Amino acid sequence: MFACFYIPDFAVQAALLQEPAETRAALPASPLAILDGPASLPRVFATNMAARRAGIQAGMTKLQVETYGGVLLRKRSLAEEDSAQAALVNFAGTFSPRVESTCAGAVILDLAGMEKLLGPWPKAARNMTARAADIGFDLRIAIAANPDAAFLAARGFSANYVSRPRPGRGPQRAALACRGENFAWAGIFIPAGEEAEQLAPLAVDVLPISSQMLEILHGWGIRQFRSLAALPTVAVVERLGQEGLYLQKLARGEINRQLLTVEQNVEFVASFEFDDPVETLESLFFILNRLLHELCSKLLSAALAAQELRLSIELEIRQTVRQIQRESKEEEQYRHEWKLPVPTQDRNILLGLVRLELEKTTFSAPVRRLRLEVVPVKPRVAQENFFAPPSPEAEKLEITLERIRGVVGDADVDGAACVGSPCLVDTHRPGCFTLRHFSSISDGGGDLANSPLATAPVIALRIFRPAIETAVELDGIKPHFVRLWSRHRRVMAASGPWASSGDWWNGSAWMREEWDVALKTPAGLGFYRIYRDRIRERWFVEGVFD
Amino acid sequence: MLSKTQILRAQIEEKLPSAFAVYRRQEHGCIPTGIAQIDEAVQGVPLHALTEICGSNLASSGKTSVLTSLLAQATRDHFCALVDAGDSFDPASGQAAGIYLPRLLWVRCGKSRVKLPPLEQAFKVTDILLQSGGFGLIAVNLSGIPERVVRKVPLGSWFRFSRVIEKFPAALVFVAEDPHATSCAGLVLRVGIDAGAVPFAGNLLTQLNLKVEVVRGQGKKPVRSEKYTERTGLSLRTQWA
Repeated sequence: MFACFYIPDFAVQAALLQEPAETRAALPASPLAILDGPASLPRVFATNMAARRAGIQAGMTKLQVETYGGVLLRKRSLAEEDSAQAALVNFAGTFSPRVESTCAGAVILDLAGMEKLLGPWPKAARNMTARAADIGFDLRIAIAANPDAAFLAARGFSANYVSRPRPGRGPQRAALACRGENFAWAGIFIPAGEEAEQLAPLAVDVLPISSQMLEILHGWGIRQFRSLAALPTVAVVERLGQEGLYLQKLARGEINRQLLTVEQNVEFVASFEFDDPVETLESLFFILNRLLHELCSKLLSAALAAQELRLSIELEIRQTVRQIQRESKEEEQYRHEWKLPVPTQDRNILLGLVRLELEKTTFSAPVRRLRLEVVPVKPRVAQENFFAPPSPEAEKLEITLERIRGVVGDADVDGAACVGSPCLVDTHRPGCFTLRHFSSISDGGGDLANSPLATAPVIALRIFRPAIETAVELDGIKPHFVRLWSRHRRVMAASGPWASSGDWWNGSAWMREEWDVALKTPAGLGFYRIYRDRIRERWFVEGVFD
Repeated sequence: MLSKTQILRAQIEEKLPSAFAVYRRQEHGCIPTGIAQIDEAVQGVPLHALTEICGSNLASSGKTSVLTSLLAQATRDHFCALVDAGDSFDPASGQAAGIYLPRLLWVRCGKSRVKLPPLEQAFKVTDILLQSGGFGLIAVNLSGIPERVVRKVPLGSWFRFSRVIEKFPAALVFVAEDPHATSCAGLVLRVGIDAGAVPFAGNLLTQLNLKVEVVRGQGKKPVRSEKYTERTGLSLRTQWA
């Protein structure tokens, strides 16, 4: 089964959708006209029922309308109509995953397999109408076995094209809701196989028909579906061609087609603007918690999870006297982005990350506006690697790393990260490394074979970072005394020099001579690595073999 | 007929049931260090316990080599964390020893502009890692920290660490110049260089001859010192030897 949601006077309802609920409730009683066209000569594009009763018709000029008096005039806004259409598609998406945006003010839903979920169709239609009213739509709903029959019924039975259907024409065809005086019918159900009979009283204007074709049909005296459906098919094709045949099939409710479903592109963004800029973190966390709750609820309902979280904070505009004189405005913004190793829908994890970041951040001005954006992905459903070792819980690891960064800092003075997984850089320069993001997922130990255990334990070098500058007394070319920890240490044995150089082709050239020396210390022999920087002609202690 | 002592004991136990209960540390598995002599003596570094590896900061002692070898073994089967209070870890040495670096979380303390002293940073990070769980080995290298500073750490901190780690299937290893955790440690190893000939083969440093002393072992504390010197042939070779 298919349902069609149709909004009569879509342009009017789209304009009213922006109004507060009280105003929206009061306006239908007043004549309202939507104007469109060039500013020099705007004409009436759409009207509500009250305006039509007053005699206002589409195509009238603004001047003509103003002669009626008491008519509310609004300029047509395509943006408002797009927004209303998007809201209608979203609303339909809450009932079915397969939704077609048929035209402005109309969507068709595939309800196959939904009966158990939504209940009997007449009851489902009543619920849909009631929920639409909550978000500000005055909907007409028709449910039929094929999408076009549902669309034509919803459009045609919305009072403009047909008189009230005769009661008792079948048990299923009953008034589902009587909503105000403008529209008699809020919903209709057409059982399968009865499309032609149920659609028969509709006017041919309801069909997607060209004015030329409509003129021909009117010329033949055909004004209702009933008359068009009764014509012999061959004669219709001979006189009106394939277009005529298509219209006749529509009138008979015989066209069954696939829906052109829309991919719902829901944005996961939540923002909040404070009336008065706030200075305390607690106030921020209170609002952030609410925004994250909203986002996580949306993620859950869309069966998605957050892969990235972006926070943007606008600070209060600070204007110095000079800026005021120059009439220039300075707007400060703080942005931060979290890339999560594992998609999550857990609000507490996201809030924990935001909290840890904000607690170590100092703002120069009070906060005026918050904006949170989530990049959604499909949640992880696969089982973790059965043969992987026990690991920190991936969802909580990011918070742990953030907490550690809060203690030790993000990066050292050279910009190298303080927390992460060490990774050697493919270069000959000694002591070069980077820290990669530490992650406990997607590790099946596949690279274990590339880092084999040493056949026997090897001596490790304990690095002094940065290297300690020292003074070395030479005996020939060999170090004889090395100054270390404020004392001259005798060199008991030395191995070297081991010369190396590199990067001479760019600005960061290095050249050094290494020596491994055994120094006499009060605690015993110390085996140190010292080197001579041949560019600066200085000696350094790089580390100790420990 | 109960003696007075037995009556008194019964009266106390009536009010305090666990007053005379003896706290027994549970026996758990170990992570091998990868050094045969140590593994033969103590079966490796115990899980659910605090271990100390001690050695001189000034002279070469081999404590960093033992730690590196332990990390190389542990990263085969566990995710490990290295809290480096003095930022002295050499990734190249680690890789040469066989550490699987993607499974190692390296925390470099005292490098950023954070005003907290490196030792406090290291202890706070260790606390966070213990709370987080999931790591098979948490190693805290205090080698770069002066001994007089480490000595000021209150005994309560060591006691807390030892009680927390008991609940987790992980090993907590501290590397420092001297042992500080006293009875809170499940295993204390003292590593030092063997005072013998300078181990240069020709013009090349090829190996270090070390001795390892088990100061405190599981189940027997303190143990009588056992020295592994030339007799056990504990020597560590250089990468290029």
